[in-house]
Amino acid sequence: MKRKAYGRDAGLTMRMLLTSFLLGLLYVGFALVLFYVFNAGLFLMLVIVVGLGVFQYFTSDKLALRASGAKVVTPEEAPQLHAMIERLAAMAELQKPRVAIVDTDVPNAFATGRNQKHAVVAVTRGLWERLDEKEIEGVLAHELTHIANRDVLVMTVASFFAMLAALLTRWGLYAGMFGGFGGSRDNNNNSVPVWLIVIAVSFVTYILSWILIRTISRYREYAADRGSALITGAPEYLMSALQKISSQMTLIPQKDLREVEGMSAFFIIPTSLKGSISELFMDHPPLEKRLAALEEIAREMGRPVA
Amino acid sequence: MGVRDVLFGRKKLKDPARERLFAISTARITLESELDLKPAGAGGVCFKSLSAGEFVRAENDLQELLDAVAGQSGSKVERHTDDMGFEWIVIRDGDFEDLVATVHTVAQEFQDRGFGPQLLAAVFPFEGKFKEGRMYWIYGFKRGTFWPFVPTGKDQERDNAEELELKAKLEQELPIEPDLTRWFGIFNAPL
Repeated sequence: MKRKAYGRDAGLTMRMLLTSFLLGLLYVGFALVLFYVFNAGLFLMLVIVVGLGVFQYFTSDKLALRASGAKVVTPEEAPQLHAMIERLAAMAELQKPRVAIVDTDVPNAFATGRNQKHAVVAVTRGLWERLDEKEIEGVLAHELTHIANRDVLVMTVASFFAMLAALLTRWGLYAGMFGGFGGSRDNNNNSVPVWLIVIAVSFVTYILSWILIRTISRYREYAADRGSALITGAPEYLMSALQKISSQMTLIPQKDLREVEGMSAFFIIPTSLKGSISELFMDHPPLEKRLAALEEIAREMGRPVA
Repeated sequence: MGVRDVLFGRKKLKDPARERLFAISTARITLESELDLKPAGAGGVCFKSLSAGEFVRAENDLQELLDAVAGQSGSKVERHTDDMGFEWIVIRDGDFEDLVATVHTVAQEFQDRGFGPQLLAAVFPFEGKFKEGRMYWIYGFKRGTFWPFVPTGKDQERDNAEELELKAKLEQELPIEPDLTRWFGIFNAPL
C-alpha cells in the first residue's frame, strides 16, 4: 500500500511516538507481572485474546456499521454523496471506499475498515442536511485521511491490550469467586490471594491504557484534520463544519414553545435527550484546540481565516 | 409552598421574574447599530387560555386589564387567539421603550390579578438583517431569560447558526437563557 504523508508536524509526531512508547512500556510491565504471578494459563489466554483481536480487526467494518445502524448505499441511491467521495478519494490518492448513511438527525460521520479495500465512510442524515457542500467535503476528507493513515489498524492494536486487561479483570473476578486459578493458589503461601493481584494489576492497566488510547486517538484526529485541510485546500470549511457539528447547535430544540407548554403536564423525561452527542465526540480533542490547530494550518496555507 | 400544599398536591407555579424584561430596551441599541436589526413596532404577550371554571371572571378581568393598559400608555393593544389555542395580547407602539414598558405593564396586571402562572412568553420581532423576514427575541416569564429565534420561513425550520451568533453578540447585555434545550421557537406569532 502506498502511504502518503499528509503534511508534517514534528511536535505531533513526537507526542504520538512518546504516547505509543508509554503504552508499550505499560504492556510489557503488565505482561511481566502476569507472567510472575501466574504462568500457567497465560499462553491459552493470549491465544484467546489474539483470536479476539484478529476477529475484531477483520470484522471492524461490519461491526461498526452494525453498531451504528449505518446502511451502505449505492451510487444510484445517493449520487451526490458518491460523486463527492469519489472526487475526494482521487485527490487523496485512495481507492474509493464504500459509502453508508446513518438515518439520524445528529450530524456526524465516521470511517472504518482495516484497509483501503474494506474501507467504509458513513455520514448521518443530519450531517447531510445541516451542513453545506463545502463543509461536508471537509468532513469527508477528514474521514478519508483516517483511512489513508490506517487508523483502524493503529487503534485496534492500541486497544488490543486494553481489551486483554479488561478480560483478565473479569476472569480474575470469576476465578476468585469459583475457587481460584487451578493449583496456583496452593503453591503460593502469600497472604494476598493471587486472583486479587491479577484483578488489581489488570484494573490499573486497563485504566492507564484507556487514557493512553484516548491520547493517541486525539493525535490521530489532529492528523486527520490536517489531512482534510491538505486534500480540500480549504481548512476554513472543516472549521465551520466542526463548529456546526459541535454540540451547541444540535441542542436547540425544533419544537414550538406552545406545543411543549400544552403538554408539560405529561412530561416525565426532560424535554431533550441530546446528551449522547458529546459522547460521540469524547475521543476527539476539544473543539477549541482543533480549531486553533486548523487555523494555524490555514495560515500556513495562506487561506482566509474566519 | 407550604407543607399542606405539598400534601394536597397544590403546586404553585413560580412567580415570573419580570424585571429583567427591561434589558431588551437597552440591548436594542446594539441590535440596531451593530447588527442592523430594528424593532418591528410590535410586541406580544402569549398566555395559556384560562380554565372554563374561571372563564367569566377571567373574561371580565382581561377586558379590564386591556382597558387599564390602553389608558396608561399610548400603545395600541389588541387581543388574538392563535391557531394553537393560545391567547395573545399584541401591543403596537412605534417607540420601543414604550412598547417594552407596556409589555411589562400587561405582565404586571396579569400578576396582580392572579393570572401570573398563565404567562408563557413575550415576543419582540425585529427586522432588517434577515432577508427571509423577521427574527424574534423571546422572553420566558418563568425563568426571566431571553433567547433568539430566527425562523427561515420554510415550515418549522430555524437558523441555529444565526441564533448562536446573536447569543454571542448580546450575551453581555441580555440575560440570555443558558440552557439551549429551552430555546423553543414560537412559529407564526400573530404579530
